[in-house]
Amino acid sequence: MLKQWVVFAFLVIASPLLIAQTTRQGSQQGGAPRPAQTPTEWQRKHDMVLKYRSLEDYYNALKKEAASVPKAPLPDWSGIWTADSVDSFGNCLGGSQCYFRPGPGGVTPKLTPVAMAELKSGEEKTAKGLIYDENLSTCGPAGFPRWLTEPFLREQIVTPDQTYLLTEQANEIRRVYTDGRGHTPEADRYPLPEGDSIGFWNGQKLVIHTNQLQSRPMGRNQPMQSEKMETVEIWEKTDANNIVVDVWLFDPRLYLEPWYVQRRYTQVPNPDKSMRIRYWDCSENPNNDVTKTQEGGTDFKGFTFTDKSKNQPNH
Amino acid sequence: MIGITRASLLMVALLVLAPLVVEAHHAASMFEAEKEVTVTGVVKEFQYTNPHSWLLVDVTNKDGSMTTWGFEAEGPSTLMRAGIRKSDFATGTKLTITGHPMKNGQPAASWIKAVRADGVEFNPRLRTGNPTPAPAGNDGAVPSASSSAAPAR
Repeated sequence: MLKQWVVFAFLVIASPLLIAQTTRQGSQQGGAPRPAQTPTEWQRKHDMVLKYRSLEDYYNALKKEAASVPKAPLPDWSGIWTADSVDSFGNCLGGSQCYFRPGPGGVTPKLTPVAMAELKSGEEKTAKGLIYDENLSTCGPAGFPRWLTEPFLREQIVTPDQTYLLTEQANEIRRVYTDGRGHTPEADRYPLPEGDSIGFWNGQKLVIHTNQLQSRPMGRNQPMQSEKMETVEIWEKTDANNIVVDVWLFDPRLYLEPWYVQRRYTQVPNPDKSMRIRYWDCSENPNNDVTKTQEGGTDFKGFTFTDKSKNQPNH
Repeated sequence: MIGITRASLLMVALLVLAPLVVEAHHAASMFEAEKEVTVTGVVKEFQYTNPHSWLLVDVTNKDGSMTTWGFEAEGPSTLMRAGIRKSDFATGTKLTITGHPMKNGQPAASWIKAVRADGVEFNPRLRTGNPTPAPAGNDGAVPSASSSAAPAR
């Protein structure tokens, strides 16, 4: 028993250090990303939603507070952005246990037995090399909130009534309605990969509430979120090269109380404007066709350069 | 105070000690992450496509026969960030290229680095003008930029 406690203590102490180390390594790859959150700041933000009955209540409280804030010009979020200059696959990128890892101070999310069991099952599959992406492997959407963790390029298009949040990967687009409309009436709702997002501006911070999400894995070999998943996000451009997003999420299938993570995106240098986001189409090049193996892993279906009966790429 | 239970012990252990799962369009379990293969040949075609690009290289075998090898990298935007443009590998370009080979023995690999006959090195996971490797791609490997004296792109 003592041995277990010693191991546990080590893991609790070491995990944020390991994660912080990963983040620092990642930070060297971008321009000048903001320092990672301190444990105190993380804890304050984690705790601030716990007094509300739901994240929608929290969103409504934020909206009420913002009503007294003077209107500000819409921010300039133009350019091309990415998470992969400040994050790593070992930390949060690509949904890699992002929503189940301890916070910077080592605090772990309070998970349901279902989430614990699925984490364990997923880990066992991963250890055996049995990894298949039911969504991305066919250019389907990662879906939200996994969307927040995806690598590659991003764009944000801010307009007075609507903000478009785009990722290059699988051409995913989120539409955030800021014209004062509410969510779709309950009787007319149906689950969506990116859900239904409404928002408002608090100064130059965009506050978003998202619901109507699909049941889907939160990453490869990660627990399944349910249609009851809801989130609140606060997006803020903190300087010319950094956008910081505070994210609270709750799904009664996975969590016993809301969980909090912070996502950061940095502007991708593009001085000659040659960097452009291109369409993703899994049928464009047959060499990218993959299939799920009988065991549950991933393999290529075949190659044009070894199997002459396969079609050549469409370009 | 954090409640300490066997369940939380298990969870923390899983989270901290888990292998690093990487993300792109597909998992990389078909490649041998611990092995490398290097071939010399000429570019047959550079398929500069999403979600993955393929550099096809014709390699002349010892017995005089020809094998076309395919080296997979991420899509165009990742290659652009690494300073690799489609025109860098025109058909007929001579090169030596290294990758993580397929487990099943097919002539394909996850591209680590390519050195053209003119000595210029191309690493699809390096950022242009930045010596620090970018996050690992679909095989989890972060190749070393300093392992070759060749000028890097």
